[in-house]
Amino acid sequence: MTDGPLIVQSDKTLLLEVDHPGASACRAAIAPFAELERSPEHVHTYRVTPLALWNARAAGHDAEQVVDALVRYSRYAVPHALLVDVAETMARYGRLTLATNPVHGLTLTSNDPAVLAEIRRNKKINPMLGAEIDESTVIVHGSERGRLKQALLKVGWPAEDLAGYVDGQAHDIELNQDGWTLRDYQRESVENFWAGGSGVVVLPCGAGKTLVGAAAMAEANATTLILVTNTVAGRQWKRELIARTSLTEEEIGEYSGERKEIRPVTIATYQVMTTRRKGEYRHLELFDARDWGLIIYDEVHLLPAPIFRLTADLQSRRRLGLTATLVREDGREGDVFSLIGPKRYDAPWRDIEAQGWIAPAECIEVRVSLTEDERMMYALAEPEERYKMCSTATSKRPVIRRLVEKHHGDQVLVIGAYLDQLEQLGADLSVPIIQGSTTNKEREKLYDLFRRGEIKTLVVSKVANFSIDLPEAAVAIQVSGTFGSRQEEAQRLGRILRPKADGRQAHFYTVVARDTLDVDYAAHRQRFLAEQGYAYTIVDAIDV
Amino acid sequence: MSTSVSTRPLASSYTEWLRVQDDGWLSELLHARPDVARPAPPDVASLAGRLIGQVSISRALDQLDAGVLHMIEAMVLLPTPIDARDLASRLRGVPADALAHGLDQLTGLGLVWGSQDALHLIEGVRLLVNHPTGTGRPLAQLTGDPDADPRSLVESLPDLAADERALVQRLAAGPPQGRLPDDWTADEDPPGTISRLLRRRILVQVNDSTVELPREVGLAVREPAPFGAPRLRPVPAAGLVEPATLDKLTAGAILGVLRNVEDLVAALDLDHAGVLRSGGLGVREHRRLARAAHLNEATAAVLLEISLAAELIGIASDGEHWLPTRRLDVWLEQPLADRWATLAAAWLRTSRQPGLAGRQDGAGRTLAPLSPELIRHGAPATRRAVLSPLTSTAPGTSWSAEDLLALVTWTAPRRGPEFASAARSVLEEARLLGILAADALTGPGRALLTGAGDLEPAVAAVLPPLIDYVLIQPDLSAVAPGPLQPELSRSLGLVADIESSGGATVYRLSEASLRRSLDAGWSASDLHSLFARHSRTPVPQTLTYLIDDIARRHGGLRVGTASTYLRSDDETMIAQVTADRRLTDFGLRLLAPGVLISTADPDEVLEALRSAGYAPAAESAGGMVFPGLAQRQRAPGRRTSPAPRHTELTAEQRETVVRRMRTGDTAARAQRRTRALPSIPGVTTATILETLQRALREDEGLWIGYVNADGQSSQRLVEPISLTGGFLRAYDHRREEPRTFAVHRITSVAPADD
Repeated sequence: MTDGPLIVQSDKTLLLEVDHPGASACRAAIAPFAELERSPEHVHTYRVTPLALWNARAAGHDAEQVVDALVRYSRYAVPHALLVDVAETMARYGRLTLATNPVHGLTLTSNDPAVLAEIRRNKKINPMLGAEIDESTVIVHGSERGRLKQALLKVGWPAEDLAGYVDGQAHDIELNQDGWTLRDYQRESVENFWAGGSGVVVLPCGAGKTLVGAAAMAEANATTLILVTNTVAGRQWKRELIARTSLTEEEIGEYSGERKEIRPVTIATYQVMTTRRKGEYRHLELFDARDWGLIIYDEVHLLPAPIFRLTADLQSRRRLGLTATLVREDGREGDVFSLIGPKRYDAPWRDIEAQGWIAPAECIEVRVSLTEDERMMYALAEPEERYKMCSTATSKRPVIRRLVEKHHGDQVLVIGAYLDQLEQLGADLSVPIIQGSTTNKEREKLYDLFRRGEIKTLVVSKVANFSIDLPEAAVAIQVSGTFGSRQEEAQRLGRILRPKADGRQAHFYTVVARDTLDVDYAAHRQRFLAEQGYAYTIVDAIDV
Repeated sequence: MSTSVSTRPLASSYTEWLRVQDDGWLSELLHARPDVARPAPPDVASLAGRLIGQVSISRALDQLDAGVLHMIEAMVLLPTPIDARDLASRLRGVPADALAHGLDQLTGLGLVWGSQDALHLIEGVRLLVNHPTGTGRPLAQLTGDPDADPRSLVESLPDLAADERALVQRLAAGPPQGRLPDDWTADEDPPGTISRLLRRRILVQVNDSTVELPREVGLAVREPAPFGAPRLRPVPAAGLVEPATLDKLTAGAILGVLRNVEDLVAALDLDHAGVLRSGGLGVREHRRLARAAHLNEATAAVLLEISLAAELIGIASDGEHWLPTRRLDVWLEQPLADRWATLAAAWLRTSRQPGLAGRQDGAGRTLAPLSPELIRHGAPATRRAVLSPLTSTAPGTSWSAEDLLALVTWTAPRRGPEFASAARSVLEEARLLGILAADALTGPGRALLTGAGDLEPAVAAVLPPLIDYVLIQPDLSAVAPGPLQPELSRSLGLVADIESSGGATVYRLSEASLRRSLDAGWSASDLHSLFARHSRTPVPQTLTYLIDDIARRHGGLRVGTASTYLRSDDETMIAQVTADRRLTDFGLRLLAPGVLISTADPDEVLEALRSAGYAPAAESAGGMVFPGLAQRQRAPGRRTSPAPRHTELTAEQRETVVRRMRTGDTAARAQRRTRALPSIPGVTTATILETLQRALREDEGLWIGYVNADGQSSQRLVEPISLTGGFLRAYDHRREEPRTFAVHRITSVAPADD
């Protein structure tokens, strides 16, 4: 019995034993065609999905290589059905190709007329197709490129998109690397992205996704539209771009609720893009305002549905999605794949931490016992009120205060979801609060004071979940959240993962009320990070 | 059959030829044609009679390989008697030893008789061979015109046009019949290829849609090899599978099939499936079980069939539900190797054909799995026939399925059309079970088929060692990187949910799964110690907390059963009853202040209280239930009556039969000497039938001795016309009209020209 590091399961998951001497070679061999699903401490789980196999085909791997990698590293026999399935699935990719024909424009071609005939018979797909040139080629309406790809993927005949990209309006952008250089993984992500044309780069919070974006812009050397979650994040992008690239303040425009600037590099918020007046999206024409050479979607897992629809029309432009996690709470991962592009780069969080690019973090769940009164109130509360009731319990307050005191001297963020709870905490700790109604100006001022260390503690609502760069924040205390949202947990942890000047460890506390829904949701929230290899410790409130 | 044909003494008839064979040879014949030995034939003449029966001949032909059948077909085409050298010269390309071996086999089976230079084919064989070597019927027979002259046809062949020649050559290569195009008409103008050939009688129309090439034309076109290319034993291209790889694949299949059967049966245990009126499993239930075990429906059907064959599932005593049998509980306790051995052996011997499930029968109905319609008595023989050629290969030799099937088909080409699809199913099932892997016979598969040594150790040798640990991860998943020891596997199955299975098993520990184990009577410390003992990685603190949390809340509410309660506001009364020694049998227990419970029936308690002098009042039982400890229902399982089997005759039994026949012969000879008539009416000797058949074929007149229904015997000169169903139809010269004679009343025959 050979002793390979990999166990291939019949449900197409691959289990990789991390401590095995052959693990890293095996990881390199299977990474092209299997999605990393979970990477906890000992055994990582990959999954062989049709998408992953098609990605591998797109990257030039063939079924033989895939089968060989599985058989070579597998400890036990690889289920025969799985190998057959791999070959069959991979053979489906590339039967159809989208290409630009000099005479007819965008065309769909197949070397197998039967496949094309099957596609033509499909009720959903047929309207997107035009006249037949010959039995193996059919004209595609140019505007349907994205939707056609989406539809073809759904019926299991993914098209290879060889139609290329427009260059967009050229604009000189260079990285300004003095005193710093791109990290290996950043360079690799940009290379992978550029080679693939479009796609998504998955990196942990704090791993420098902005720089990946900047490097991609330098590669494109063209006008760029950047979509971000909110204004503050947009300004941060702007600051970073000015510092790290040859771009100047005048070349970067902000397109938000407050300002509507369209410049060679324009940063817009999702919110303004999806603002409707009289039932119409008023700002979507921004996409056509310039001949953009690159579109960057920050936090792509939050991309709102209207932008998906528009993105379908933008298939001839290069698209880069950036995110810390592809987990979408709405399950639209497939749309991200077909409209933005496949995943081009991914690295386990712990790997990047091991390389020292993000701060090591300790995750602690603090369990608070409710008083008898609180328990009774909780027991009798309406179901929809229950989570709020337990997560905002008064018993949490002294514990939170003790935690803040314990980390006296550190930069501490207290993060919650319910405003009255945050206000109470702000008053308890006598610190400022940032929430939805706080003006952008006020927010910037407070963040700035926090960055400079003049304010040590901030109480923030979920407006701070994303894209706020607070390098010195070392402690986050989560007091309530959006139910069991896994990506919120990841984002919040991300706030404190910037490597600290003195290499300090970051602390991530979650305060939960024992024996309530709070614990259940916390367990659900923690799953993503646990799967990324973070081990949570549980302590009792009285031990803090 | 050790003796060779050339040493046979000369004999004038089949019966005579049989009679002069030695005892050992006859015994071998009975072994090769077991159907004629039962009941024991009284003498050699009746043995001969049985040997020339169509059914028996057909069975004998079924055993022959394609090469020997080719010899038979060639002999049908040759005029009798046949010289073996002549046969050899015509079957060019067939090795001499194959020919000699083939003739030995044919004489040994009693299908060919005579001496090396004058071989005879049993007449009945001719009737069973259609289109010998792929040629059509003789011209005279096809046209019904005895004067038709094939020679002139053959001489005209060089004049054929190219299109005509192509068609003739195609039909000459066999099969000799072709379908007429749908739009063909006899009077087409100008005449097409077919019409021209029909007009010249090079083709003969046999019915509305079929034409046939006469035998003489076919043979002439085939020159210089009129009997076609030799049908040599195909030699499969052998590949080699590394022993380690083969074992790995085998283990994968074995573990997979065990897991799948377990899942299927568990799904059936959870929710018994209804029995269809036709006896099988309904489509919906079938689909449900397949889904529960994550299998496709075809595989699920095969595994259910195997479970039935191994008697792990059966029909409940009510006759309406499929459910696990008691045997399943035993099976589940066994080591993996034993479990597999049970399944594989059951599969090998079951007379059900699992591959038929889901196919359609003749009437277009889908055959339901587990239904009696899947029974095929030939199924075990089919399995052996398909797989046994592999047992002679060196370990690790792989033959492609196509090659293997080609060889199997060559070995016995006369098997029905069902055989081909059954053979494919056999291969699929063998792969599923791990008897075949990568087209090679696996170690356990070899042990199963050859029956050499114990099966279980052969299985255990390929299975990966059982492990006794899991890796528990902080995300509360536990990975068992290999097959677990059964006890640990059961424990984990209880305390965790299986997320993914295969070579390894991934368990997910959750609040619900842990609570389930507490419900089953585990304590928190049981859980802690289970994980502490079996986790190779440090137990994550989250898990420890989770267990304690759940255990703390577990049992906050208690539920129990009681049949009767006694309540009173008077606590002293309650105390008095509790202490009353006359009531101790009722197991009264103080549940709460003022409330006693008992497991006895209310009537009994009431009665006892009254007789003890209390004055109790009965309360309405409204809503009280008797939950009773439900025992799991089990099917009674089939009574294991061994399937009726045709046990072969032993050598001693065969000797006895031969000895008796010899005695019978002597007796018959004695009788012949004392009586005028050469044979006894009612006993149709093989010679009579044989002579009738030959006369019919060669169109000769015969003298027959006949006893009519009134018992009067007569001698008649007849011209045989047909011989069917025990009646000879022949032209009777005395009556000058065709007459029908019952064969059993024909007492003697002699050629007319004698």
